Amino acid sequence: MTAYLIATLALVAISTIAGLALNLQWGLGGLVNFGLFGFVMLGAYTCGLLNVAGWPPLLAMAAAILVTGLASATVSLISIRLSDDYLAIVSLGFAESLRLFISYEEWLTRGTLGVPGIMRPFAGWVPPSAADAVFLAFAVVCLAIVYTVFEILARSPFGRTLRATREDPMVAEALGKNVLWLRLRAFGLGGAALGIAGSLHAFNYTYIDPTQFGPVITAYAFMAVIIGGRGSNTGVLLAGFTVVLLLEGSRFLIDAFGLLDGAQLAALRLFLVGVALVTILIFKPNGFVREYRLISPTKERS
Amino acid sequence: MIQLVFNGLVTGLLIALPALALALTFSVLRFANYAIGAMLTVGAYAAFGFNTLAGWPLPLATLGGMAAGALVAVGVNELVYERLRGCSGVTLLVASIGVALALENVVRFIAGNSPRGYAVALARPLRLFGLRINFEQITTLFAVVAVLAGIWVLFRFTRIGRAMRAVADNPDLAAVRGIGRRGVVTVVWALSGALAALAGVLIGLDATLDPQMGWTYTLPVFTAAILGGLASPMAAVAGALVLGVAEELATTVLAPQYRNIVAFLVMAVILLVRPSGLFGARWLTR
Repeated sequence: MTAYLIATLALVAISTIAGLALNLQWGLGGLVNFGLFGFVMLGAYTCGLLNVAGWPPLLAMAAAILVTGLASATVSLISIRLSDDYLAIVSLGFAESLRLFISYEEWLTRGTLGVPGIMRPFAGWVPPSAADAVFLAFAVVCLAIVYTVFEILARSPFGRTLRATREDPMVAEALGKNVLWLRLRAFGLGGAALGIAGSLHAFNYTYIDPTQFGPVITAYAFMAVIIGGRGSNTGVLLAGFTVVLLLEGSRFLIDAFGLLDGAQLAALRLFLVGVALVTILIFKPNGFVREYRLISPTKERS
Repeated sequence: MIQLVFNGLVTGLLIALPALALALTFSVLRFANYAIGAMLTVGAYAAFGFNTLAGWPLPLATLGGMAAGALVAVGVNELVYERLRGCSGVTLLVASIGVALALENVVRFIAGNSPRGYAVALARPLRLFGLRINFEQITTLFAVVAVLAGIWVLFRFTRIGRAMRAVADNPDLAAVRGIGRRGVVTVVWALSGALAALAGVLIGLDATLDPQMGWTYTLPVFTAAILGGLASPMAAVAGALVLGVAEELATTVLAPQYRNIVAFLVMAVILLVRPSGLFGARWLTR
């Protein structure tokens, strides 16, 4: 039971990091990233392959963060001049292409066989019985760092300007803000966080293959952001640890439901994710936690 | 070479119907419907149900599937998109991916993950002027060309077609002239659902049915629509044909499983070089 709880919590921490990344890109910046799973995959494979090639885990992770961040920024360049609809399909196109590439370029990625034997950080220093708990602690520390950095960013002038470009890029442009450069940085920074999520994914399973990465990862992240409230990092954190925990926990129910087999239960869970996305958008479009707003002192006095 | 071009044109025709449906909903509603793939899957499976469970012959089952696809599309519009009216296009975009997830998994829940095929007799490919032509390719050719001609007549010569073009052009002006938006939107969704369903059946004939089938076609369908210019439905058809031939010709240099990568590269180039599409739509969202 404890082992199950630790494993689930690690997954929730990884999903929540992806949610925070999406919150920076979409919540604050209005940049729709439907290809989120592709960037997580890129992070996982960069980290996993470098690690298997002999790099120490933390160094491989740092490389994955860098690669994913740069790749995100580059992909966003394709359509950053155009409206958000285009970035959505471009990021999705990148993700699908990457998945094909990784599935078939066996010389590099071992294709569908997957990459086994990825070493977790600190694996040599702790007894094997405590390995999962140590990994969970590491994932939570990563989550805390991402949360803190993104929260500082959201309250900084950068975050404020980013919100302005989300509301009306034309006005921001007229006020002399470089919208393109801002968006590029937001998408790249979000991508770096997705690199962290991907690396943790690789460490968590110690084995990666292309089937682990799909649109479901994107859907979970969108759900966390929509339920938590667009723009609110705290909201994403809370949503991650309630809704994603419930969904992941529902894997447990396979034994309880004698009527449904595993595939049907998986379909049911994804169906509920889809319905929840739409329902929250209709009935609670701003989510449950308000985004941070700078309240000017003059306003407070009056 | 000619064989490749011919195959490419047929592939393009398969993409043309959902691309037309996508551009149609985009031009009238101003949001990109990511559930287009899932609508294709639902239609294909509905036709499969009529075909194998109810024992209808395939042409009749296809009509049944198209009717079911139209109903689902109109129903989803009433349940979801109408309630989100006035929200930004981005919100609708995200809602449509939720819809896609829900629809695809309804199919998966009922029909399971394993691939399926329609109950049709196998036929030997024909040889015409040195071309090898499958029976499925002929079916696709005739079905798609007939439907496209029908749609063109509908756009050009009927009241509802004119109303659709009017709302797409300028919804406020259309409203001033007494064109009911609600009715037009319902017809647009019904058409788009039926077109996606027909494409689903044809793709199912060409290959097999599985719950993922619509999702794998999402990227080429969007590429085709962007290539034509997202807001002009008939140009999407031309975009689909160009993409189909490009994908087929690319198999001479790239592995055939990389079709979707070709679609992505074509999309990237077109967005960088000529974002209004090959056939120059009148306007462009920035």
